[in-house]
Amino acid sequence: MLIRGFETALARRPDHGFQLLSSGEEAVAVGLCAALRDQDQLLTGGRSIGPALARGLDPKRVMAELLGKISGTNRGKGGRGHLADPAAGFFGAHAVVGGNISIAAGVALSMQMSGTNGVAVILFGDGAFGAGALHEVLNIAASWRLPLLFVCNNNQLSVSTPRSTALAPKNLSDIGLAFGMPSWTVDGMDVEMVASAAQRAVEGVRAGNGPGFLEFVSWRFASHSTTARETRSRAELEEIRGRCPIARQAEALMAAGLMDEREHVSLKHEVADAVAAALAFADESGYPDPDEVLVDVW
Amino acid sequence: MSGSEPLGTEKIYFREAIARAMREAMREDPRIFVMGQDVGAFGGSYREFDGLFAEFGAARVRDMPVAEAAMVGIGVGAAAAGYRPLVSITYMDFMMLGFDPLINYGAKLRYKTGGQLTAPVVVKTTAGAKGQGVAHSQCIEAWLMSVPGLRVVAPSTAADAYGLLKAALREDGPVVFVDHKRLFPIAGAVPLAETTLPIGRAAICRSGTDLTITTHSYMTRVAMEAASLLQSEGLSVEVIDLRTLAPLDIETIVSSVKTTGALLTLEEGQVTCGVGVEVIARVHERLGLIPAARVGALPAPISSNPVLEPACLPDASRVVVAARNLLKNRIC
Repeated sequence: MLIRGFETALARRPDHGFQLLSSGEEAVAVGLCAALRDQDQLLTGGRSIGPALARGLDPKRVMAELLGKISGTNRGKGGRGHLADPAAGFFGAHAVVGGNISIAAGVALSMQMSGTNGVAVILFGDGAFGAGALHEVLNIAASWRLPLLFVCNNNQLSVSTPRSTALAPKNLSDIGLAFGMPSWTVDGMDVEMVASAAQRAVEGVRAGNGPGFLEFVSWRFASHSTTARETRSRAELEEIRGRCPIARQAEALMAAGLMDEREHVSLKHEVADAVAAALAFADESGYPDPDEVLVDVW
Repeated sequence: MSGSEPLGTEKIYFREAIARAMREAMREDPRIFVMGQDVGAFGGSYREFDGLFAEFGAARVRDMPVAEAAMVGIGVGAAAAGYRPLVSITYMDFMMLGFDPLINYGAKLRYKTGGQLTAPVVVKTTAGAKGQGVAHSQCIEAWLMSVPGLRVVAPSTAADAYGLLKAALREDGPVVFVDHKRLFPIAGAVPLAETTLPIGRAAICRSGTDLTITTHSYMTRVAMEAASLLQSEGLSVEVIDLRTLAPLDIETIVSSVKTTGALLTLEEGQVTCGVGVEVIARVHERLGLIPAARVGALPAPISSNPVLEPACLPDASRVVVAARNLLKNRIC
């Protein structure tokens, strides 16, 4: 709910440049992060707002970063697609499609060499699935039994190109099987299913079984970015938005008697307050001084 | 070896200087490890990693499949996570496959994370032509000079290779270390004491008063040969081995050109947007339009053909001709 509220508020801002939103894919971020511990590191592609918030990053600093403010996680220099807070277990996003996969393997190698009990998780989209970097890293990670979990958030579209016309495997998780990894394809619109699959996969990796591969089948509610054209019809989008993972979970919780309407409303208020506080924090913060342009180059 | 080396030095091959630098650095810093193709028991394609596998084992001397993009990416990622890997790319031509993680991630990491992360990785690669054809011979170090956040070193002697490699392994950001196929079997005096050589300092290999030649890597030897030939014609040439291409030691170059009044740049790569262009532009910015010329490979791919390869590459006679023309024009 926080992710949805955060992104909705951000998208309404006139000054956000453009953003890569993950509305509709919240269950993947939330369920996956529920399976991670402090010593784990999450790396993602550019569509990273949801995963960053789900990993527990401060919404204020994330909002400030996305609006280019010096108080942001990356001093305003990373911006969309490059959020990072390694101290919080979010090693970072990287907006070159497929570009963070080998980096994640390096992080996993460092965990293996130093004997920590950590797991590196790389979250990428179906757009990165066809990239050579994935195929190179699958092979090396399997050979070295790296503590690395590959998570493909298959939201069906690489900008405009449907997954069905671009990628050959029936299930994208089939590729993990070729390298001897435990591999699963799971409904990415159901947060409970995501969480239990992620839990099982992460603990398998943590136990020293080598890498695993998870495919979450999800649906993107918005176009590729806030400035990209939508290629799906209105009717199609309406049908897709009807699969909302947040509404689905709320209904399930209420049907099971785990949440009542009053608690639901109170949660909505909490989210609205957190989003308003994030925006206020970002608005009160300054942009970097122009001299900052040469800081931290080397 | 010969017994004629200076006191306090040993005469070793360039490839041995690399192995020695790695050995000392790995003994000193457990975060340093090597990854690349054929770096393990094989000892490297030019035996420049000889002995490391036996001493440090497979965990710190890692043989890799042919996957340059992943190799560089894993090295950069492990560096960002606290290690200090050296990634060996057998031929510089193949670095193109690893540019994405090196340039889009490694070189920008400190900046884009606001100083939270850095990538202290050394990418070591071998440039230069030695009969191996169009995709195994290129010198593309000039491409890398314009990348903010990247250091580029390209030594020409065993001692400099030793000192610069050790310095590179102590840097806090990514360094590209460029060696050269034809330098590996050349011996030179290297200090017996464990030392490093600061990155960013050029060396004056030969003093002169009529012309400054700036160069790097194997071409330093060609420049020295040309300088001897020009000496016999009565021209006094100062030869500067840049050693580090990024950042350039512009002060040493400017100071030399102030004395000689003429500048010739020599490189084995292409002159278009090459190292020489940058050197000349910076000198002109400081000293005005002093006479200058560039010598490099001809604008053609480098064939393995025994006639076409040398026809493409700069040699001492081409340097001599270019120097004569440059100085003749100045006198006129």
